[in-house]
Amino acid sequence: MMSFVTSMILSLLGSVPPASVPTDGGATFWMPESASAQAPFVDHLFDFINLISYIFLVLITVILVYFAVRYRQKKGQVNFSGDGPVHNTPLELTWTMVPMLLVVAIFYLGMVGFLDLRRSPSNSYEISVTAQKWSWSFDHPEFGVNQSGEVFVPLGRPVQFLMGSADVLHSCFVPAFRVKQDVVPGRYSRLWFEATKPGTYQLYCTEYCGRDHSKMLAMVHVLPEDEFQEAMGKLATEYMDLPEHDLPTYALERLYNRCASCHSLDGSAVVGPSFKGLWQRTEKGETVFTDGQKLSNLVGTGKEFATPEDYIRNSILDPQHLVVQNYTGAMPSFQGQLKERQVTALILMMKYLDRLVDAQGEPILSPDLPELNEGDGSEGSEDDAEQATGTDHSKDNGE
Amino acid sequence: MSQIDASATHAHDHDHDHGDDHPAHLGHHWENSKQQFEAGKLGMWLFLSTEILLFGGLFVAYAVWRANHPEIFKYGAQFLDTFWGGLNTCVLLTSSMTMAMAVTFAARGKMVAVTICLILTLFGAAGFMVIKYIEYSHKIHEGLLPGISFYEEPHASHLWLPLDELGHEEEATEALIAEQQSAAFAVETQRESELPPPPADAIVWTKSPAATGPEGFTDSKLKIETSELRLFLPESVVAKVEDALPMLEYSEHHEAGELPHLTHPLQDPERPVNAQKFFTIYFMMTGLHGIHVIVGGIVITWLIVLTLIGRFSRGYYTPIDLGGLYWHIVDVIWIFLFPLFYLI
Amino acid sequence: MTTLDTGHHEQPRLAKDNYLTHSSGLLSWLLTLDHKRIGLMYLVSVLGAFFMGGIFALLVRTQLLTPEGTIMGQDEYNQAFTLHGAIMVFLVIIPSVPASLGNFVLPIMLGAKDVAFPRLNLFSYYLWVIGAIFFVLALFTGGLDTGWTFYTPYSTDTNSAMGGVIPALTAVFILGFSSIFTGMNFLTTIHRLRPPGMTWFRMPLFLWSIYATAVIQVLATPVLGITLALLIIERAFGIGIFNPALGGDPVLYQHFFWFYSHPAVYIMILPAMGIISELIAVHSHRHIFGYKFIAWSSIAIAVFSFLVWGHHMFTSGQSALVTVIFSAITFSVAIPSAVKIFNWLATMYKGHISWNTPMLYGMGFLFIFTIGGLTGLHLGTLATDIHLHDTYFVVAHFHYVMMGSALLAFIGGIHHWWPKMTGRMYNENAGRVAWCLVFVGFNVTFLTQFMLGSQGMPRRYATYPADAGFQIYHIISTYGSYVMACGFFLTAIYLVLSLFNGRRAPTNPWGGRSLEWQCSSPPPHDNFSEQPTVGDCYDFTVLEWSEKEQGYVWRSDVPHPGSEADQPTSEGSH
Repeated sequence: MMSFVTSMILSLLGSVPPASVPTDGGATFWMPESASAQAPFVDHLFDFINLISYIFLVLITVILVYFAVRYRQKKGQVNFSGDGPVHNTPLELTWTMVPMLLVVAIFYLGMVGFLDLRRSPSNSYEISVTAQKWSWSFDHPEFGVNQSGEVFVPLGRPVQFLMGSADVLHSCFVPAFRVKQDVVPGRYSRLWFEATKPGTYQLYCTEYCGRDHSKMLAMVHVLPEDEFQEAMGKLATEYMDLPEHDLPTYALERLYNRCASCHSLDGSAVVGPSFKGLWQRTEKGETVFTDGQKLSNLVGTGKEFATPEDYIRNSILDPQHLVVQNYTGAMPSFQGQLKERQVTALILMMKYLDRLVDAQGEPILSPDLPELNEGDGSEGSEDDAEQATGTDHSKDNGE
Repeated sequence: MSQIDASATHAHDHDHDHGDDHPAHLGHHWENSKQQFEAGKLGMWLFLSTEILLFGGLFVAYAVWRANHPEIFKYGAQFLDTFWGGLNTCVLLTSSMTMAMAVTFAARGKMVAVTICLILTLFGAAGFMVIKYIEYSHKIHEGLLPGISFYEEPHASHLWLPLDELGHEEEATEALIAEQQSAAFAVETQRESELPPPPADAIVWTKSPAATGPEGFTDSKLKIETSELRLFLPESVVAKVEDALPMLEYSEHHEAGELPHLTHPLQDPERPVNAQKFFTIYFMMTGLHGIHVIVGGIVITWLIVLTLIGRFSRGYYTPIDLGGLYWHIVDVIWIFLFPLFYLI
Repeated sequence: MTTLDTGHHEQPRLAKDNYLTHSSGLLSWLLTLDHKRIGLMYLVSVLGAFFMGGIFALLVRTQLLTPEGTIMGQDEYNQAFTLHGAIMVFLVIIPSVPASLGNFVLPIMLGAKDVAFPRLNLFSYYLWVIGAIFFVLALFTGGLDTGWTFYTPYSTDTNSAMGGVIPALTAVFILGFSSIFTGMNFLTTIHRLRPPGMTWFRMPLFLWSIYATAVIQVLATPVLGITLALLIIERAFGIGIFNPALGGDPVLYQHFFWFYSHPAVYIMILPAMGIISELIAVHSHRHIFGYKFIAWSSIAIAVFSFLVWGHHMFTSGQSALVTVIFSAITFSVAIPSAVKIFNWLATMYKGHISWNTPMLYGMGFLFIFTIGGLTGLHLGTLATDIHLHDTYFVVAHFHYVMMGSALLAFIGGIHHWWPKMTGRMYNENAGRVAWCLVFVGFNVTFLTQFMLGSQGMPRRYATYPADAGFQIYHIISTYGSYVMACGFFLTAIYLVLSLFNGRRAPTNPWGGRSLEWQCSSPPPHDNFSEQPTVGDCYDFTVLEWSEKEQGYVWRSDVPHPGSEADQPTSEGSH
């Protein structure tokens, strides 16, 4: 129906070829690459409005320049004749009615396209999206997989994002799909698209959300169905199957991107303390909190934290509990968002960070990591395997 | 409203511009008193329309919230005292009448009567604010406050334990709680026999068994309480509140032998979610109205002064007329507020 | 009239007793009740704020030269664009035309001695000053990074937004009342101070547009006032009215905010349209075409402006039905705007067009406003707006309307009334050169941003992905903004110089027929010693150029309107 109406109107106006929609969906002068089922309609409509705009702009500009030159005041002219018309009702009604008819047509097309953008098919593949300052987290309930900073979506199948915000307003925008929807705290919002071209597309946050708004980006990877299934299956079990030895690398590659907007790897202080040297500071208990307490007073048998690892785990799951001096406590809680084994992986990543990345924070390709499952005074691997499914945190292997 | 007296000093500056027929109250740019009066009146009406739109935002918020959550408004309204509200309505209506009388007397040039009527109006304004003070202090006392304060300090009353200190001096307060808890138990056992049984009507008024004493206290209620608190309070504070909630029951029951006539919302298992929204909109709307009453009082005082120094006459009483218009709009807004909060 | 009759000097002189020389001393300015002096004080203050906002704009543009940011960190950038937006909207554009030029010109055009409430007028000015002081205070109390829209819950979350939020909100609240009082004053003045003969349909179109603006100021601004008051209390005490954690609704805030802020867009553009009606008619020396259509379209725009606020929230999650309705009403605004454009063009037909600076600004306006209006179609259309919302396309669109149209019309208006206000002529050639710089710079800066936006560059980004192809557009845009800045500096220089060595302005340098061109330049303290006689203010055939005056005078062969023989001029005013 809607493409029918579009083509009708377009043919009425002299059959405009969809100039900005080449068959391969590549970027044009106006529009970025197009990769969703909705994109062609939006692009057609955009071109249609552009065409009307060009016609009017050229018309007005030509008349303006012509009048300005033709009726330029002559030198030495002292008085003025009043021979131009002062009003002409039919003419004025014409240029009232013609724009009116045009905008009614444009409005109708826009409404049709919009309702299509809002109405998601019932068989959509659903992904729960959580936006928080300043990262995106994607949950695939079907596979029990959590992704952050990037998301895999299947090709040629409607995908629906069910989105919620943990703090302030955000907005999810994928230019290549021509879709956008605000994410409002306290309510859920939906966004759907059907990707038509495999590839990687940028996802932006387009509602201003504070300091690192412009870093709140993510990548959407469109994969053909079989690759998608394979990838999801792999992600679902990845961290369970990984040997201890690979956990730090896993954390750096898969988990760190959600920390990256606030915690640097190169020692620069951003929103939160840098991860560089964090483990060393923690181990020595040098960290000082906003209330003036020193970490060394809190760690040890019988104190709040049995081990430094416990402190870091607490900082991830309940970050407001102790806030490091000179920082604002802007970190959200990751309780329920990270599996216990993933927390372990993060802690291990911090421990061996200086072997994983170089001084500039760039990853080292083949890091030289110790054999973790041999036990090196930190958490035992058997414990971790159990914790991966449990929610209760057992005290460390010290006891 | 500073235009009201846009005359005296101004005209004085430019006396040379005008003939002798130009009265002192007439601005230099006016043709005659009638034109000035009509302009002043039009300006005042425009100002009043902005006032109505100022309140309009809040009325819209009220309408939206009430449409979405009628239960919150039904629940919250029982904490307002219709007696005080009704009395205030009478006071304000009377003062509006005396204001109208002042304008009429001014038109007839009876300046003594004008002064008396204005003073009566001023008394009305003051009386309204006194009653407002009684109502507000009662609410603040009981912790019936807007927004997050509703949960933070419901305990300021002598009937309630000072929970808000819990977060700060942890150890001391914990000790205090422990001490009071044992004391309360002691008192309880000691007074059990001494105290007369709670009056029958107290139980009738009571919304839930919780307020009758610790027996009525259930775990499920605690969960409702604290799960809601968790939304916006740190876990540590919630834990403290959980610990102390049973305490509230004891202290409430026994202090001064008093029984609250209603269950405190924080302890009421039937309290709708986000009950504080009622108090938010209540304080915002009546508060903004109260500010207008205070401004009105200042305007009336100033009118009294001008009347006493003989600024007005039968031919020129525009400020009284405009001040009257303002006072009536303050009155009309209250006429809407009173039923919206107290009656329906 | 009298000034026209007595024009027999070699060079017109500054009238001895004009409003500038009527009294002297600093206090005579600070406590003045003269609308002309208040207008002039507004003009100076608003231009000062414009300079500040412009500096922030240049900082923002410079930052975006490179993908990773050029001169600032994220926080500084967020503050820079917030302050740029807030200063430009609340301190500059909203008061620009009505409060400065409007204050100066409105009573004179009307034939009145002053506005209805001179003290209220001065009070409005000081409210503006207090508002500006609060903005400065916001800078020193921790800065401001919420964006000029103050969206909740970001702005009420004390953890994330900065400490200057409450002072800034207070500033906007106070500025709102300044605007309300100005609007009240103008409405009453136009209703009650029109002299005999000045019927509604004899008023210059500038007054119609100021009247429509004042209606919006009076009716929309109180809602912003109460909204910001709630936001202040929300942030200070956590009353939860907009906070979802306490059952509040952040989208309710957006409704309240845009209920004001959309009409506010017309507070900005309507007076600009009024100026353009004057500029085009006077400098084309040709009766305005379709007077009534233009007048009524101003009123239509004012009415529609209250019904379209939801188009700022197409992606906010409001219901689809509401969204569709708002889109439909939004398109209705396009029609009166189009009508105005065509009427202005028709006014130039068979005119005698002077290519002087005000007219160049007028013609530039036609071009720029056409682009601004047409790109409004892309944004009012739902399906395309979803893609374009909150991208640089929107940024470019509202700069075309608010800056390219409203502010440049303001600058054009300053040139138009400069001789009247100061009694001096500026250097015309410098004016033309500066206009070229501004016009070219503006279009280079903001045309590129349309492509940026439709390619997907979100607004309010301090950095952007290097591989998305945005950088080249940003570079062009930034250089364009430098060119524009040069144009403005040149303008400032020759205008200031004209105060010292400019030619004395004649009574009627352009050939205008509205009443302000009948007072001497600058006007006397009381504007008119006698009630002026009102004719058709767009009938220029009765004027002729006088070499002696270096200005326009009444034609010797046409009976003077003050005399008995005068026939009421016909066209447009029947």
